[in-house]
Amino acid sequence: MINLYSYLGLSFVMFLSGIIVLVARKNIIAMLLGIELVLNAAGINFIAYTRFSNANLDGHIFTLFIIVVAAAEAAVGLAIAIRFFQIKETIHIDDAVTLQG
Amino acid sequence: MEYSICTIAPIVLLPFFAFVINAFIVKRFTNIAVAISCFSIFGSFLFAARIFNDFVFGVYSAGFHVHKVFTWFDISATGLPFKVDMGFYIDNMSATMLLMVTGVATLIHVFSTFYMHDDKRYGRFFVYLSLFTSAMLGLVLSDNLLSVFIFWELMGFCSYSLIGFYYEKEGAGDASIKAFMTTRVGDVFFLFGIVILWSVIGSVSFVEIYKAISAMKLQGLTVLGFPLATVAAASVFMGTVGKSAQVPLQVWLPDAMWGPTPCSALIHAATMVAAGVYLSLRMYPLMEAGHMMTVISYIGAITAFGAATIALIQTDIKAVLAFSTISQLGYMVMGIGVGAYNASFMHLITHAVFKACLFLAAGSVIHSLHDHHTHSHVQEMPRMGGLRKKLPFTFIAMMCCTLAIAGIPFFSGFVSKDRILGDALYMAMKHSSYIPVAVLGFGAALLTAFYMFRMMFLTFFGEPRDKELHDHCHHEHLSWNQNIPLLILTVFTLGGWYCGSIMGQPFGKIATERYEWFQTLIEKPDVAKFKDYYKDNLIGGKTRPSISTEKSVYDENGGLSEEQAHHVHHAHHLGAIFSVIIAFFGVFLAFLAYIRKAIDPGKIVNAFSGWSRALQNKYYFDHFYKKILIHKILLRLNNFLAWLDLGIYDRYVIDGTEKVNSYMFQFAKWFDNLWIDSILVDGTGASVRLFNVVLRTVQSGSIQFYFIVILAVLTGYIIAI
Repeated sequence: MINLYSYLGLSFVMFLSGIIVLVARKNIIAMLLGIELVLNAAGINFIAYTRFSNANLDGHIFTLFIIVVAAAEAAVGLAIAIRFFQIKETIHIDDAVTLQG
Repeated sequence: MEYSICTIAPIVLLPFFAFVINAFIVKRFTNIAVAISCFSIFGSFLFAARIFNDFVFGVYSAGFHVHKVFTWFDISATGLPFKVDMGFYIDNMSATMLLMVTGVATLIHVFSTFYMHDDKRYGRFFVYLSLFTSAMLGLVLSDNLLSVFIFWELMGFCSYSLIGFYYEKEGAGDASIKAFMTTRVGDVFFLFGIVILWSVIGSVSFVEIYKAISAMKLQGLTVLGFPLATVAAASVFMGTVGKSAQVPLQVWLPDAMWGPTPCSALIHAATMVAAGVYLSLRMYPLMEAGHMMTVISYIGAITAFGAATIALIQTDIKAVLAFSTISQLGYMVMGIGVGAYNASFMHLITHAVFKACLFLAAGSVIHSLHDHHTHSHVQEMPRMGGLRKKLPFTFIAMMCCTLAIAGIPFFSGFVSKDRILGDALYMAMKHSSYIPVAVLGFGAALLTAFYMFRMMFLTFFGEPRDKELHDHCHHEHLSWNQNIPLLILTVFTLGGWYCGSIMGQPFGKIATERYEWFQTLIEKPDVAKFKDYYKDNLIGGKTRPSISTEKSVYDENGGLSEEQAHHVHHAHHLGAIFSVIIAFFGVFLAFLAYIRKAIDPGKIVNAFSGWSRALQNKYYFDHFYKKILIHKILLRLNNFLAWLDLGIYDRYVIDGTEKVNSYMFQFAKWFDNLWIDSILVDGTGASVRLFNVVLRTVQSGSIQFYFIVILAVLTGYIIAI
């Protein structure tokens, strides 16, 4: 039967795989995908809590915001990736070490 | 008649500013500096003339004076009741003195532009002259002993540098040191007297001292068993002895002629030596209160006679004048001693005028006699003679001054000296203890007439004894800076300027009181008048004739009773007749000896060879000071102190300190090396390097590493909750 914990379990799995992608993959595009996964896991959490607490529509609205933010973030991230590729001719994350102290 | 600081201060400040400015510009703009000096002293002459005019022609009261006071410093706020006032005190005496000093100094400045013109330190001479004159003017204006002392010392310094002006000559250097050190002996006593007065009265202002004397404050107090008033008076009088070259501190004045002749004129006439007598006159009530009068009169009489005898055998024209200065100063001091206050001050003024003129005339003579073999100017009288026709103007000036100093009637010296001698005679008649004073005084008058005319005859009369020198001497022309100052001073050697009756006091009063301004205006400070005196404040502005603005009625008998006055007049009559006879006798003797050659001075010298040797050696004062005082006592003390210094102080204290210092140094070095250098300085660097390594490692620039760290921290945080 489907209850709150099922949703939380799903979002936990999504969050975890997003983190793993973020940490383990060296491809910038893949890392952006990992960020999408993390954000969507958060959105699922919001929806789930709203659905099972019969409260108001706050969670829905928040999720809409998250989707908008995720879209904007993806656009910015891709733009950075393109600029990065133009400069370095690669999108390997280990080459982006200019912040090194 | 309103006086503010603006009308009084320029008298002293103009020459002082001239000194300050000239001290900087004299090297490059010599002529401008000389002009500044001359014009500044002339400016202060104008200010002084205004004050003199106000006092003598305006207010005309013997007791009138202006007293302006301002606080110099005041630390009574700290609980210590210590306050020092400075101020101006102008009465008839200082007004007259100001006019004399500025006038004589102006003429000496003008003459110096002639005399010093070819000197290589022409400008520097004027720098000193300005400072010297301003110091004297400051002294005359002072209202308290402390500022008198300050200016007194300034003058001591100036005389030191002027006497040693030709410092290339060894004698000049020695003479300047001698003058400085000898007057210093007197100054120490003077300072001691100031301290005594301060400790008793709490102030050294003249007015306060007069008040204290009138209130009998000094009576009954003793210092080491002596009456305090006597100790204070004697100490202050020692200042006069040093500065005015009285026995036993007269040794410096003859050597002072090492300086350029105009500076001798300034020292001997207007400034330095006059300051001592002026101080004694100002402190006259203290001298009276201290019962010093007999001592003072004896010192003055001995000085007057002794110096006159020494002058008899001098061959240097300036040396004769130097000893005559000492002798005349002796007269002044003697006059103070016998109570002839007015006459003594009058002699100070008349002497200043004719002695300045004599020195300038001597300078003129010396300047015109140039020895082409040694390239120097000649001062020795045996090489002169017959200069009357070559130097007519100098001759006229010198003749008038000689007549004045010899005490010939119609000239100023007669008026003043005769009055001193008259008072001395009066005192001798009254107290037998004053008889030696009067005898010495009259004897000195005889000698003065003799040696001054001897100088005149040797210099200007007879045949030239050094033909070549005489032929090289140019004929004198009237020039503004050579003869004119002399002739101006000559005019003022006439007696009529100083007293209405040309013959002086005893020969009847043919003139009104205004013509006898000197006798009527200048009187002894009457301490009783100062009892209820309070001072004007300089800031307050309003000047108030503090005692009386009424014209004093000329008291014919000088406040004495009818009988006393009769005695005084009798004594003055006798004195005048005596001194005239004596003066003419002295002139006659000189005439016999040096013009008619009826008496051979050489024979007399040979007959009294012991005496003449004593005179040559100036009564062995220099020997005594040098052989006994300096070599036997002071040098031994000096050696002992040197031994103390080298043997004890140097070896133990200085070297001991050095040892301690060395240990301190070792410790400091160790501390510095270990703690400061190794631990603090290097430690700072090492700690920075350590943190540097850690932070550099963490900041790898790899975003994923940062992300892991963030996650780790967040996780840790959540777990911790």
